[in-house]
Amino acid sequence: MFSKTDKGFRSAAWRITAWAAVAYAIGTLFVFFSLHRFVARDIQRRSDAWLSGEVEVLGDVAQRTPKDSLYQRVVEEVAELASREVPNRDETEAPDTAAVFFLERDTNNAIQVWVGPGKSADVAHAIHQSVVRQDKPSDISIAGFSIPYRVAMARLEDGSTVYLGLSERDQLRVLANLRNQFLVVWALVVLLGCAIVFSATRRMLNHVRRISEAASRIGHSDLCERVPVSKRGDEVSHLATTLNKMLDRIEETIHQLHTITDSLAHDLRSPLTAIRGKLELSLSMEDVEEQQDAIIASIEELDRLTVFLNTTLDVAEARADALRLNKSAIDLCDLIQNMIDLYEPSMTERGLLIRYENDGPSFIHADPSLIHRMLANLFDNELTHLPDSRTILVRVRNESQSVNLSFEDNGPGFSEDVISSIFAKRIRGRNSQGHGLGLAFVDAVVRAHNGTVSAFNRDTGGACISIILPVTHAR
Amino acid sequence: MRILLVEDEVPIQSFLQRSLEEAGFQVDIAPDGKTAEQLAVDAAYELLIVDLGLPDMDGLDLIDHLRRMGVRAPVLILSARRSVDDRVRGLEQGGDDYLTKPFAFAELLARLRNLLKRNAPSVSESTRLRVQDLELDLLRREATRAGQILPLTTQEFVLLEYLCRNAGRVVTRSMILDKVWGMRIQPDTNVVDVHIYRLRGKVDGKGMQPLIRTLRGVGYVLKDR
Repeated sequence: MFSKTDKGFRSAAWRITAWAAVAYAIGTLFVFFSLHRFVARDIQRRSDAWLSGEVEVLGDVAQRTPKDSLYQRVVEEVAELASREVPNRDETEAPDTAAVFFLERDTNNAIQVWVGPGKSADVAHAIHQSVVRQDKPSDISIAGFSIPYRVAMARLEDGSTVYLGLSERDQLRVLANLRNQFLVVWALVVLLGCAIVFSATRRMLNHVRRISEAASRIGHSDLCERVPVSKRGDEVSHLATTLNKMLDRIEETIHQLHTITDSLAHDLRSPLTAIRGKLELSLSMEDVEEQQDAIIASIEELDRLTVFLNTTLDVAEARADALRLNKSAIDLCDLIQNMIDLYEPSMTERGLLIRYENDGPSFIHADPSLIHRMLANLFDNELTHLPDSRTILVRVRNESQSVNLSFEDNGPGFSEDVISSIFAKRIRGRNSQGHGLGLAFVDAVVRAHNGTVSAFNRDTGGACISIILPVTHAR
Repeated sequence: MRILLVEDEVPIQSFLQRSLEEAGFQVDIAPDGKTAEQLAVDAAYELLIVDLGLPDMDGLDLIDHLRRMGVRAPVLILSARRSVDDRVRGLEQGGDDYLTKPFAFAELLARLRNLLKRNAPSVSESTRLRVQDLELDLLRREATRAGQILPLTTQEFVLLEYLCRNAGRVVTRSMILDKVWGMRIQPDTNVVDVHIYRLRGKVDGKGMQPLIRTLRGVGYVLKDR
């Protein structure tokens, strides 16, 4: 269904790997250059130490050897022996003297002893051109040699000077070897690094891809499916968990929607059948008055049905946290007085007495039309359920953060089988004439306003419904 | 008086047209937004009834277009949606009105008349209302019938005033709740009926011709002749 070679799907793994490779290569190069510098200095230091030591020994030999006919031979021999122990020499190569030269000059700068490759005059000229100090060897380029020599100098007691030169050839070869080996290792390391980065990102991105594929499948068809969650607990698995939570919520909402549509269809069918029946019956009626009665009854039934439909949808929306509120500041105290004015005649008709206690203005930030309907439901509830000649006490108390509203009566109270599920949908008490949604609607509105509602029987008898609505100020 | 009815559903179209014509209006019908735009430009209508769910465009967009085209007539919006959205609220503040389906025709008529009245040049408010032998003094908050002062409570007076202002026309229970108590609620119980019953007891005394009539299934009417 979804292949990796999907044309719309370009992996970010390549891009990440390329960046990682560049960073890796630059980083290792930098490390190598520092290392190279350190090694070059160390080799230099070692050969300098050798040169300084050897030139001293040779000077000593030259000084101690009697200046006779054998003098030149002896010094030459010693110089040759010394040249066999040059540092950094390639062991596999045959020892050669080309790497070292030895030069002794007397006080008149005339050459006394010369051991080494090339012409002694060139060397003498080169030494003459540059300044060779006694305490530290220095680099000298000699005509005929592409590689410079490192030259150390010692002054004898009789005023003559000895010079020992060491070609930097071996030193440079060591460094070149080092560089070549590094290049190989560097290439391998960068390649390995890239491979690791690539496979790691690829693995992670594959996981992301599987999630997106699953999400797209879910989007197309099956809401029950969930995206795969890895056990690693990293960001990707977190993403998967979050997605799954969202899917749970969507599925739940859809499930609720199904429940609502099912129960709505069920609840609408019987009144619709009744209305249809009544109208059908009115067709065959001879008496106009009777006919009208049937039509009027149908209209009234339709009005009730409309109210029921709206209330059901409001309750459902509130349960799904989808009720839209148009909030403004309202004075609950004043509003209830208004409601009492509306309901009092009906209450009096039934011999019910209504008492109202309040603390003065109680402003809350709420949806006026929902609060109106909620209060109407509470009054309707008392009016329909309370036996004749009882008293209702409506109380509004202002707390610092909330307004507490309670409806108490001295009637028979809630029956045991109803009280546990009083705010659930379609609970009717015995002899109830209503559609059974009244208190469910109250509950829905209170919840939509972040309040709490509770219903209980008072110790002294009678029912009590208590509502706490938070005082939230308009910004 | 000419009214443009913008509504795509035929049953509602025909029922509204018939009822409105019976009430003395001349009704043109536009089944969609395009026709409505053409008609509204060609003829001067005194009022528009616009359904929100049109087949070719949103009713609110249509109202916007018409307003920009210079149509000044007030609009009565018909909506099948339960909750009233903010744009409708805005229009309501701008002098238009809305009604949610299903509605009682009496209520539609009342709102329609209200809109027309709002748009007409205001006649200086009278301080007295008279319907047959019933007379209301709005300044002194006193009602008399055949010269006899009626012992009304403040609330009963407001209710009677509302009925008098709509004398001869049907008012529904929800209109009474809206205008007298300021609440758009639909109680399960017969609270409004009890108020009317009490008021009738005071207004229509023994031996008098009853003024407040109940139209079952619809509402009430204060007879003006």
